[in-house]
This record gives sequence, structure tokens and C-alpha cells, in this order.
Amino acid sequence: MSLASVSETGSVPIRKRRFARHALPYLLSLPALLVCIGILVPFVTAVYYSLMRFRLNLPAMKGFIWFDNYINFLSDSAFWNTVSVSLTYALVTVVVELVLGLGIALLLVKPTRLNNLASILLLLPLMTAPALAALMWKLMTNPNFGILSYLVSLIGFTDFRWASDPRTALLTVTLVDVWVYTPFIMILLLAGLRSLPKQPFEAAALDGVPRSFVFFRITLPMLMPYIITASLFRLLDSIQQFDIVYSLTQGGPGDTLMVFQVQAYLEFFQYTNVGRSAALMMVLWAITYFLSNIFIKQWLKLRERARGVS
Amino acid sequence: MERVSTLERAIRTVLIVLVLVFFLFPIFWIVLMSFQNNDQILRIPPSILFEPTLANYTTLLTGKLQTTAGNLDIAFLKNLGNSLLLSTGSVILSLILGVPAAYAFARFKFRLGENIAFTLLSFRFAPPLLVLLPLSLYFKQLGLTDSYFGLIWIYQLICLPLILWIVRGYFEDVSPDIEHAYRVAGHSWWTTFRKIAIPLARPGIAAAGLLAFIFAWNNFVFALILASADKQPVTVGALAFVTASGIQYGQIAAAIVLSVMPTLLLALYAQRYLVEGLSLGAVKG
Amino acid sequence: MSGLVLSHISKGFKSGKVLEDVSLDVNAGEIVAIVGPSGTGKTVLLRIIAGLQEPDGGTVAIDGVDMTEAAPESRGVGMAFQNFALFPHFNAFDNIASPLTARHTPSDTLKEKVGAVARMLKIDHVLGHAPRELSNGQKQRTALARALVAQPKVLLLDDPLRNVDAKLRYEMRMELPRLLRSYNAAVIYVTQDYKEAMALGDRIAVLRGGRIEQWASPRDVYAAPASVEVAKLFGDPTINLLPATVAQGGIQLLGRAVPTPQASGAVIAGLRPEHLTVSRSEIANGIPCELDAVMPVNVRSVLYMRGPAGEEILATVGESEAAKFGREHRQVWVDFAPENVLLFDAASGARIGHPAH
Repeated sequence: MSLASVSETGSVPIRKRRFARHALPYLLSLPALLVCIGILVPFVTAVYYSLMRFRLNLPAMKGFIWFDNYINFLSDSAFWNTVSVSLTYALVTVVVELVLGLGIALLLVKPTRLNNLASILLLLPLMTAPALAALMWKLMTNPNFGILSYLVSLIGFTDFRWASDPRTALLTVTLVDVWVYTPFIMILLLAGLRSLPKQPFEAAALDGVPRSFVFFRITLPMLMPYIITASLFRLLDSIQQFDIVYSLTQGGPGDTLMVFQVQAYLEFFQYTNVGRSAALMMVLWAITYFLSNIFIKQWLKLRERARGVS
Repeated sequence: MERVSTLERAIRTVLIVLVLVFFLFPIFWIVLMSFQNNDQILRIPPSILFEPTLANYTTLLTGKLQTTAGNLDIAFLKNLGNSLLLSTGSVILSLILGVPAAYAFARFKFRLGENIAFTLLSFRFAPPLLVLLPLSLYFKQLGLTDSYFGLIWIYQLICLPLILWIVRGYFEDVSPDIEHAYRVAGHSWWTTFRKIAIPLARPGIAAAGLLAFIFAWNNFVFALILASADKQPVTVGALAFVTASGIQYGQIAAAIVLSVMPTLLLALYAQRYLVEGLSLGAVKG
Repeated sequence: MSGLVLSHISKGFKSGKVLEDVSLDVNAGEIVAIVGPSGTGKTVLLRIIAGLQEPDGGTVAIDGVDMTEAAPESRGVGMAFQNFALFPHFNAFDNIASPLTARHTPSDTLKEKVGAVARMLKIDHVLGHAPRELSNGQKQRTALARALVAQPKVLLLDDPLRNVDAKLRYEMRMELPRLLRSYNAAVIYVTQDYKEAMALGDRIAVLRGGRIEQWASPRDVYAAPASVEVAKLFGDPTINLLPATVAQGGIQLLGRAVPTPQASGAVIAGLRPEHLTVSRSEIANGIPCELDAVMPVNVRSVLYMRGPAGEEILATVGESEAAKFGREHRQVWVDFAPENVLLFDAASGARIGHPAH
């Protein structure tokens, strides 16, 4: 297609527009469509694999077994462990991050110089690669020289094993997750808080309404769309956490931190059980698909509002 | 008009300082470690007063590690280079693919466009291993394992939704009449796109590009599964580094510092756009 | 033929028909004003002429060439948008020059042409400013200069005075006809303001509900409106519309027999406020009315009255005369000439012809 500009005054050739009008949007989105297809092909392959007996080390056994991989999960304690570990991880991290994030956002809500500086500095953990953040914490919790190991020993916890102890492993990864992702919730809620209309608060202040009442009856309900969006956003990421867990413990000790994606990764590369690994991913996908549908609705509403305000 | 007591202000300040300590201390501590030798690191109690050394950095940058077991080559610089190449390449490709598509989705309301936009969005929230594991099986057959292009193509999974949804919002904010006026003045669609639409959406394009760079740089799992040893970025390289024998803790710390600094600096530079970018345009900062 | 010819243009959206069978012709050097209430498809019509929207049916021809399918950039049309649509990242000079750069005008000619049009519109001192640094009036003039600079064969002005203040609007209303005529383009001027249309248009097209309701000279549109709605649209204060009954050889209006041409069924009589004479003392044949209020508007005053049956009747009188009516409620007598009565069919709203013509 020739999009060169027209030649000279007067002798302007009349360019037909019909082609451009109708084909242009499709031409422009063609590359993005190809990427889409590039994603959908492996996705469909994954669905297919999940219905197969497929082990890389036993190619002869390959065969179609319908839903047997899924049915086997029902009586598989490792699967139920994965489900419960993933859900616990997701819920614990999101709740802690939400409470902390909301608290910090409320602390920083006035746009003073200190608060603005703090809110910018708090972005740094969020911009650290989670895999590298996990390594940083690994160094800090090293039993020989880790600063955190030293600090807890001062308050009596000598020989605190952090991620290598099944009793404290979840606590340790949660700490790293909280360190990385609390700022995410914080900056979303801070933006939300700062965009709230002023009148209700001024009216409440004039009437001498107690601050707890203002918080629970005005601030919180008005902030709710932001809270829901931020939490769902985090929940979606958290339930499929891989980087932090894998870098820190590879799912261990034992199966203490065997979350979905780590389990599927090991299933695939260590036990070369492609079919089972794919089925595991399909279960996780079903959960995230359900959540992301709710999330996208919320997110669109908020987006509409953000566009309207600007 | 708000009565803030001195006590309350003091409590707030203390709390903010505590928050800052929690979130900044790890970075601070790793930076300190990166300037210490092994003896200083292993000293109990730890101290922030020490004679700094640049040895860890020079070792990483020269790539020659002297150990008791002899000389060891470390490929950390190679990892840094890979990260730079993969992230830059991914952002450029996603801008080339994503900006025209974002424009199409903003200007022409059409079914296919909405479908593409939402498919990419929903896969942003799908578990990456779902797509990566099957891909790893035929990545080899396609000859993509040992190519940067294969990885850059896969990185579009992270970069493209970001570009698409942020830039789309900026295009939507440009009044169509401004483009119409340029068309009526006698300019072709393509000239109008280049001279009017792109410049007016430039802040959004820049912000989305920077964020896409940061996310691509920070990505771990894509390269872990798909990249061959000599194509690995710092996120994967650093992990291998930790388990390699003979490496000193100060060198690990220095490697981490070098790996996170580019994104941290970019983030500080682009902080104005981060809120909007992180929420894919749903929240304005 | 030179100029613009629209034949049988129709356009519909999901929400319904916007334009139906619109035909117009504008000669080079002529200004056609399109008037109509908002939402009647005026802007859509302009966009179709400019090529920014496609008609569902009908053709657009410019200088005898069918342009219905042509891309906007190859139509040689100049257009001023209601919201100015200036390019925010160009300064005023580059904004105005954009049609010339598209035509690959050499830079000295370009400077000369931009300078000339800027001087004519009195914005030559702000050519280096960005649009956000311009006042509304300067923005409006820049947009106009941009539309004019390439001497287009067809000039489309979409309510260009809508977003400027009253003083500037008044000035521009005086200036524009001379300015536009010097370009010898076929001009379409869209407005909601009948005064603007009357002041600027050589001919007026009244667009209502996507159809051209009347297509005539300004004088005819005012004196012989095609329908009740056109009559209401033109005139301030608005025309008095009074129910009348058909009688032998005429109608019965405000208790008085008025000779009119053949009429049947229910009719509405229209009387322009300036065609009424109002007297404080009883006059022969005068219609007794209650004067409710006197409101000065510019050099004339509007009298608000109640007719014998309580109808609301407006009349305008000169300033000096208005003073005589005082402020209090009082009895007055109203008279009018039968030839000034406009008669409309009550059901269709169409005019039935002028009485006594």
C-alpha cells in the first residue's frame, strides 16, 4: 500500500479512501494478532498435553488418557498440598500487604516534601527483580553472617533457620513478598486516596465527626474500588508466585513451599512428567481465569473513571 | 484547618522512618556488603564501619576469579549484556508492534481489536508456565533456544499488554478532530499518524517503554526455562552464581547491586508514570 | 460547474437516521449558512463533505468532480472546527502553514502566504506562540487562517464563533463576509444562531431532523418560513403562535376576522412581535390585552401581554415608546396588519401561504 504524500498543488490525485477506512485497523493490529496467536498455540498445546500420558523419559508410553491426570489429582496428597500452600501463600501475603499498604498510604497521604520523597523511595523494592530480591534476603538470612540472623539472635532466637526451617519458611518468603509488593498496593491506594473528593472530609471535620467514624464510613467505602482492584491484582500474581519461592528455596524445605508453578516446574524438568505438569497448570489457569474475569471488570471501571477525570 | 497535634506529627514521622528503614535497609545492606571482603562480612557483630574495597566489582568486571582452586571464569558481564540486549530488543519490538495496534484500538472501535486487547490482557494474568512449558518443547525444534530473537518474541507476553493498554489510553486522550484537521489540510493518514498522533502520545509511549524495559529486565522465569546458558540475563545468571563454588559473598552482593541498579535508576527517573503504568492505566498518579 | 454540489446525501448511525436526502449546491464565492438546532446532523454533513465520514448514500462533487470516495487529504477542502482543533505541539505559524506543507509549497511562498493571511486576521504578532498561549479569539483566528491559507475551493466552517466571547463574535460577524468573499471559495457556514446565518449567508439551509426544511434566501426564510419550526428558529423574541379557527373567507384570530386564502381544518397563526402595534388608549378594532411586563432588550423593548383568552403575546416597541408603558400592569390594545399573519397547518406545521398576497 502506498502511503506517500500527494505531489503538487492543483494536480492532487484523488486517493480512494475506502481501502484505508476498512482495512487499516486490521493492518495495524496484525502484528499484535500474531503475538496473540503465538500465545494461544502453546496454550492449546498445554490443554492437549494435560489430557495425555506424556513423560519425556518414556516416550513409548505417550497416549491420550482424557481426564485421568485431573482425576488422579483428587486422590493425590501432593496436589492438595500444592493447593493449600498456594492459597495460604496468596491469602497471607495479600492480607499483610493490604493492611501495611493501606497504613502506609494513610501515613503519606498529605503531599508534603517528606511524604513525596518517601513514596518515591518506597518504589525501589517494587522495581527490584523479585528473583534478585530473594537473593538479597538469602544473603541477609544466612546463618553464618546474615544481618537478620544476627539481629534475631540478639533477642534470643539463636539458630533461627529462616527459609531452611519448615516452621519459618512461609514466614520468610512472606517477608520477601511483602518487602517487594507492599509498595504496589501502597502507591495504588495513595493515588486513590489523593483522588478522593475533598467535600465529605471537610464537612465531617466541620461537624466534628470522630476520625474513626470518618475512616470507616467515608474513607474506606470511597477507597473500596481501589482496594479491590489492588488486592485482586496482587492475588492474581501471588497465587502464581514463582520467582521468590524458586530463588529462595525451590519449594523446600521438603514440600513446605511447593506452590503451583514451582511444583509444575519440577514436575516437568525433574520428573519429566509433561502431562501431569500441564494438568497442574490448567488447574492454576482455571483459578486465575476466574479471578481475572472479576478483576478485569473492576479494572475497567476504574480505568473509565481515570480517563473521565483527566 | 485540620488540627494536628505535635504528638501526632511526631508519631507519624517515627512511623514513616520505620517504614523507610524496613523497605530500604536490604538495599543499603547489600550495597555495603558489595564493598566488603569476606572477613569483614563474616565478622560478628556486623559493623557499618569498615575499609571499603572495590575488589568485588573489579573481579566481576574483569571476569577472572582467583580462588584457591585456581582461576575461574565468570560470565557476569555477559549476563549484564544479555539483560540489556533482551530488554532493549523487547521494548523496541513491542513498541513497533504495540503502538500502531494501540492506535487502532483507540481510534477504530472494532471487534477484533477488542478481542486482541483482552486476550493479551488476560494472558498477562495467566500463569506464565502454562505457555512456557509447552514452548520449551518446541523451542528447540524451531531453533529459537539459542537465539535472542526467540526470547525477545516471548518477552512480548510481558511488554505488549503494557504498551497496548497504556498507549491506547494516551491515544484516546487526543481529540480525533486534531487528526482530522491535519488530514483535511492535505496530509495522508501515515503522515498524520507520524506528525500528530505519535508526538501527542509521546509521554505515554515513553512511560510505557520505560516500564516495559524494567519488567523485561526483572523477568526471571522466561529466561530460566527458555534461554540457553550463554543467553541468560542477570536474574537467572545471579542465581547460578550463588550456587557456583568458590564465589565470595561480597561478589554475590556486588553482582546483585549491578543487576538491580539499572531498573532502580530508571524507576526513579520515570516515577511520575509508574502508578499509571503499574495499574495498566487504571489509576492516574 | 464550479463549487460544491451535494446530492441526496443520507447517513444513519446505530441510533438512527442523521441525514436524509440532503441536496445542496454552493457556488464559488457564495456563502451558504446551515442553521438548525443541535443534533440535527449539521456537523455530520460537514464531515461528509470533508471526507471524514462516509455517507450511506448520495454524492459529493467539488468543481464537477465526484469526490464521494476521495480521501480527505485529496479533496482540497478547508475546514475550521468548532473546538478549533489546533495542533498543540505546533506554534501558530506551523498550524497555519500545515495545508501548505502538505502541498509542498516552497518556503518563501509559504512564509508569504501565512504572513498575508495572518495580517488579514490580525494575528501576525502571535505567530510564534503555541496554541495554549493564545487567547480564545486568537485561537479561533488561527484556525480560520489555517482553513483559508491554501485558498481551498470549498471552505467548511463549523460554528466557528461558538466558543468565542460576545464582543469578538460581533466583530467577526461584521468582518467575515468581506473576508470570505475575497477568497472566492464555496463556503458552508454552520451555526445555531439565526442572526449569524442571516448576517453571513447568501442562502440559508434550515436543517431539521436530518432534512432540509427550507432552502432560500435569508429574507425569504424570515418573511416566508416554510414551517412553524423554521418560524420559531428565526426571530428574537420568537414569533407569536396563536390558535385560530377557520371562518368564511379567512380565519378568526384573537376575536377578529382576518381575510386569508383558502384554509381548512385546524390552523396556527404566526405574528412576529415587531409586526404588532400596541397602544395605551383604546383604538378602533384594537384587541384588548393585559400588559404583564416590559423588558428592555438592546434598543427595543419586549412587551409581555395576555390576549383576550389568556394567550401569551409578545410585541417589540422602540425604546422611547417603551417608556410610555410604565412598569405597572395595565390594559393595552393591540393591532396588526392582516398581510403580516403567517398561517400554518396545525397538524403538519407547514405554512399555508401568505394571506392577502
